[in-house]
Amino acid sequence: MSFQANSSRHDMAAPGFGQSYDPFADLSRSADDIDEALDFEDTYDGLGDTLDETDDAFNDDTFGGDTGGVSHAPVGKDFDFFGQTAKVANAIEEEHQRFSRQQPAPKSTQPSSSQTYNSGYAYQPAPKPARTGYEKYKSEPVSDLQVDASIWGVQPKKATPVAPAQPQPAAPAAPPAGRKMMSLEEVEAAMRAQAKAPAQPQQPQPQLQAPSQPGPEPQAAFPHAHYSHQEPINYQQQQFDNRQPRGFYAPDNQQLPQGAAHGHPIAILQRPSTKSIPSNGPSVPSSLPQQHQPAPMGFPTQILQNPNRMPGEPNRMNLPTHPTHRSQNSFTRQPQAGANQAHLSHLSEQEKASFLEAEARRAKRNHKIHVLSKDNGLMTPQDKSFITRIQLQQLVSATGDPSEHGTDAALAEDFYYQVLSSLRAGQRPNPNQPLNNFAQTYLFQTGTRHGGMRRQGRGPENHMQRMEQQVQRAVEAAKNKPKNKQLVIEGSLGKISFSNAKTPKPLLNIKRTESSTETTRPGSGHRSHPTTGTDKKETLQNIEKVYLTLMKMEDLDRNMPPPPPNGGPDPDFERRAELQQQLQQLNEQLWNELKVHEPIGATSVHPFIAFLSYPKGKKAIGRVFNHLTLEQQTTILTIIVIHLDQLDVVRGAQVQTGEPINLNAATRESIELFIVAVMPSLLHLLSKSELHIVTGVLGLITQNLNVDLVARTRIGVSMLTMILSRAELAKQAGQATEQSWQQWVATFNQFFNALEPTLPNIFPGTVASGEDIYVWQFLAAIGIGASPEEQQRLVLAVKDRVMDTVSLSKTLPPDMAKTRLDNVNLFMRSIGLDVELLNN
Amino acid sequence: MAGGEEGPAGGSVSEPLDLVRLLLDEVVFVKLRGDRELKGRLHAYDSHMNLVLGDVVETIYTVDEDDDDEEIRTTTKKSEMLFVRGDSVVLVSPQNSS
Repeated sequence: MSFQANSSRHDMAAPGFGQSYDPFADLSRSADDIDEALDFEDTYDGLGDTLDETDDAFNDDTFGGDTGGVSHAPVGKDFDFFGQTAKVANAIEEEHQRFSRQQPAPKSTQPSSSQTYNSGYAYQPAPKPARTGYEKYKSEPVSDLQVDASIWGVQPKKATPVAPAQPQPAAPAAPPAGRKMMSLEEVEAAMRAQAKAPAQPQQPQPQLQAPSQPGPEPQAAFPHAHYSHQEPINYQQQQFDNRQPRGFYAPDNQQLPQGAAHGHPIAILQRPSTKSIPSNGPSVPSSLPQQHQPAPMGFPTQILQNPNRMPGEPNRMNLPTHPTHRSQNSFTRQPQAGANQAHLSHLSEQEKASFLEAEARRAKRNHKIHVLSKDNGLMTPQDKSFITRIQLQQLVSATGDPSEHGTDAALAEDFYYQVLSSLRAGQRPNPNQPLNNFAQTYLFQTGTRHGGMRRQGRGPENHMQRMEQQVQRAVEAAKNKPKNKQLVIEGSLGKISFSNAKTPKPLLNIKRTESSTETTRPGSGHRSHPTTGTDKKETLQNIEKVYLTLMKMEDLDRNMPPPPPNGGPDPDFERRAELQQQLQQLNEQLWNELKVHEPIGATSVHPFIAFLSYPKGKKAIGRVFNHLTLEQQTTILTIIVIHLDQLDVVRGAQVQTGEPINLNAATRESIELFIVAVMPSLLHLLSKSELHIVTGVLGLITQNLNVDLVARTRIGVSMLTMILSRAELAKQAGQATEQSWQQWVATFNQFFNALEPTLPNIFPGTVASGEDIYVWQFLAAIGIGASPEEQQRLVLAVKDRVMDTVSLSKTLPPDMAKTRLDNVNLFMRSIGLDVELLNN
Repeated sequence: MAGGEEGPAGGSVSEPLDLVRLLLDEVVFVKLRGDRELKGRLHAYDSHMNLVLGDVVETIYTVDEDDDDEEIRTTTKKSEMLFVRGDSVVLVSPQNSS
């Protein structure tokens, strides 16, 4: 803020400052015109106030003509003003302050030089007051700031008369107000005259204190003696101030009451008034004595407010009548109400104090408003858009992924601060020092961007585009954020649809009624029909149930604590018992789901057989057996055996000796799977079974099934082989009692009788197909258990196949031939023969 | 999981995917976007209808735009194992013929 005012004074030296483009350029112009300003000011019609100051775009049109003569060449360096000039200005400002503090005397002694200097500075010179329309914003930045702190700090003292120590009475301040109509020349002349006057010793203090000391103090201090004729004028100033928020509007308002033509003096007065405003209260009582006050006393205050003005004041001192009115005005804001003034003078001390207080409050408020608003209009639209971009960027970075914040991002966020700090850093030591590279790069970059082209042209467009981009990014970031969040939360694969206000996520909500499975399923009707039996879907559902239960049971098994070593005390007894109970429940559930106990023959296909007809059903058997009791397993074995001819691997899987194997791939697969998945479990079960169970199984097959159909399938043959082997093993192991063995032999004989006609036909494919090893194994199992008579019948039944194989083997390569002969030998040796015998 | 009570978790159908579950380890016919069809054994699926198929025969229908007439050409590929991303699945159906 300060640099504006400064720049206006110093811009003349700064290159490119005169640019019309910049909103503050007019300030510089006014400075440039100082010499000519005398005429200009006098004739100025005040139109400048009506200008739209916020629209910089028209600065060119408005001021282009004026500046053209001064410094049009540096047009391209628009921003040079901002950077360099501002820098210089600050430095100068500082210098000036220092100067004013340290060397007040020189000013007074050399009025002309100091005058110009001061005028250029915070204290507006007579010429300057010309209302360029920016005047409002020009209010002395430095002094104001200082005033702030001090005023508020000191204010409490105002009411108390203790303050008097201050030698600077309001008197001096008054003079300027009185004379509004002075021309600039007159003012300057007066100033010079006054500068030489005795005020010198006090000047230094006023300069420093002026900002800090609230008006009231001085006046209160010397209510009676110090007030001179000039005071009234002072009040006038105060009035203005009070009416108008702190000189902000001052120029405009002043003109109205005091005559439009002479804006200058008023403006000048305005400045000092800010400090003296509060003084109105105290001044009232002292209005009478004021006149006696010596001029010198009044002088200091003047200096406080406007050192330069002081000289001109003498002229104004001549207006004695004004004081009353004006002081009133300050309170009532109605300058003409003289009665109030008189009334004030008669107020009691208390009332005065309250008055003072009220006035102070108002001043405070006005000051606040002034401080807040004094920078109005400083920013160009471009500046604003820049700010907007910064904010947007912050928004984007705030909403963006925090993990993205790297050093670059941080730098980007702090970009403007970096530039500023680098500017400041470079500025301090030496104003003339060029900007450092960083600042230069970016400042000039932006500067040329705008300066190179017509001002109103692409600059704003550029900003607009960038802003749009920023907005886009912000929106995108906002969009993305919830997505990421939800993805993280859900932790699921590719769940992309998220609900928002516009497109709520469609959720599939199927009500799950307990009875729904029974009532709504189309197949339920069939189910009630025993004849239709289990449909495919139900079987599949059963399989799924079984698997679910299986998985639960396996879970429990995994979680089962290990049994205590050596039968010691079981610390996990309770838990194990609990788990065992759960396992038991699940076992029952599993057993029910296997449908093993469904009535046989109630349906066309027994549910369990249907279960086994699916590959996954077969695969489940191995796992199911792990969780079933031996009894349950045996039941399953029984069920399988009873329905052996209904198994998908048996039904329609019969082979015919001498014919090519005509099984489709699915059946072959199914058979292979059955052998791999089911047979081992059954074999394992059989190996643990008592002989009578084995006998019972064989009896079931013999009595209930078509042995021919069963024996002509690989599964059937394998099953029979398994049974026969188990019986033989049991006998050899001595597990079989005599009785049970007799039963077995009887059963076997029945079986053999039933099987004998089929024996020649059980060989799959032709002799050459070579898939008959399992048949030879079967024959071997029969041969071992068979009586000599049965063995003979057996040999007779399969003699052709044996002979064919032997003869075939002679045509085969030795290794293949050996394989074939070995297969045959499996059988031959079981009955005490050898293929070697046949070769002869 | 605790009790042995018959929960609905078993084979009851509470949502469409429960029907797909019944097709596990079965040969299924899958129609995909882009005029593709798959036939294979369903090994696994998930709620997105991502599928894992085994022994897959993929049939791709393409239109040959010759000068005059357009002919539909089919290309078949076989894969031992296939992962199908669910967003391309149009339908899944049990394959009865096999």
